[in-house]
Amino acid sequence: MDSFSTMVQFLLPGLGITLLVTLIALFMGCLIGVFMAVLRVYGNTFARTVATSYSIVVRAIPVVVIIFILYFVISEFIDLSAFMAGAVALGFASGAYQTEIFRGAILSVPQGQMTAARGIGMGRGKAIRCIIMPQALRIAIPSLINEVSLVLKDSSLVFVIGVPELLRRAQYASASTMKPLLAFGTAALFYILLTLVLSKFLEAVEQRFSLSS
Amino acid sequence: MIKPLLRIKNLHKSFGKIEVIKGVSFNVNPSEVIVIIGSSGTGKSTVLQCLNLLHRPDSGQIFLQDQEITSPGVDEDKVRQQMGMVFQEFNLFNHLSVLNNVAVGMIKVLKVPTVEARQRARDELKKVGMADHQDKYPAQLSGGQKQRVGIARALAMGPKVMLFDEPTSALDPELTGEVLAVMQELASEGMTMVIVSHEMGFARQVADRVIFMENGLIEEEGTPDQIFCDPFSQRTRAFLSLINQGENPGGEIQ
Repeated sequence: MDSFSTMVQFLLPGLGITLLVTLIALFMGCLIGVFMAVLRVYGNTFARTVATSYSIVVRAIPVVVIIFILYFVISEFIDLSAFMAGAVALGFASGAYQTEIFRGAILSVPQGQMTAARGIGMGRGKAIRCIIMPQALRIAIPSLINEVSLVLKDSSLVFVIGVPELLRRAQYASASTMKPLLAFGTAALFYILLTLVLSKFLEAVEQRFSLSS
Repeated sequence: MIKPLLRIKNLHKSFGKIEVIKGVSFNVNPSEVIVIIGSSGTGKSTVLQCLNLLHRPDSGQIFLQDQEITSPGVDEDKVRQQMGMVFQEFNLFNHLSVLNNVAVGMIKVLKVPTVEARQRARDELKKVGMADHQDKYPAQLSGGQKQRVGIARALAMGPKVMLFDEPTSALDPELTGEVLAVMQELASEGMTMVIVSHEMGFARQVADRVIFMENGLIEEEGTPDQIFCDPFSQRTRAFLSLINQGENPGGEIQ
């Protein structure tokens, strides 16, 4: 593991795990975020209270604490690997931030859209699904690109519960080669590479669905 | 004796502490074109938005043919399917093409099969002269084009009455003509229309009846000749002279 290329080879499996944890967390966070955002904007008093509490409380706690809590709570009931527990915890946390992203996006859709949808006789649910949400999702993309970068970086936190992702492997490499700069520097390069690839992908999605002439 | 299509009885509507509509009553007969005129803030648009229950009146009754649509438990969505509305700010669905804007109501609300809905949408677009633009998106259209698509979208639902809320007020003057032409065509085909507008020329030419509103009440109503040439009320005269001054920007006093 002394040279750069051997370091790269050693860290590569960690890259795979990091990517997987990130994608699972982002997907889960997206489902939670859309659901909670709709509850916050369109729900009755009870639904709004539940969604708002989730959003405020989870965003107030450091992500690493959430990872610890969820890992130790979940392992009481289900036999879950550290990997899945970490991904779920990260998804649960990201969901709170994505709630705010989608809530802002929904509120950015002009009021007249709902009026026009009701005007042709759409019920509120149909109007939300067919008219509001497609526009809100497009508005949300720039903020989601930012969230991708944040979740990717936060994925390094699951090393605290022993997941052999990129950071953990870098730590091990650093300890055994006594070359921290090589180990963590290479890891950092991988993070940069991943961020660039994921961002470029999402920017392409944004272009594809863009509504400007 | 013709049975009115719409009967509005003693409508009242407040927003918070402010009473915007203070007791409005009128009838609309089938195929009639009614134009409501008046200064800004007199409640004209609010009356229109109460007609299709976008706002719930505080008191009063509205009858669409035989059905009292203001009674509790009425399916408001079904009522709105029978009334088409055209908005001042167009409110086209930004994420849908022109064709899908017109078709979406038929597909999602009336459950018409997609192929048939798109064909009917094409027919409606032809009627308003927008068939060539069917694959464009609202952001690529001019104001007049957007409004014509808005009219097609409302017509596609097969409404019994069309409501127009200041349809040309947001348009540049040279674009109002194309929209008014579509509306005139619609009127000559026998569509029942209730229009809130500042276009006095259009009202004079196309309206069967003109209603002048002020301060949340109907001040005067009559045929265009009655209202524009020989109004009964002093307030109506005052409003009309203001409008005439506006139409003579050179400063001539009428």
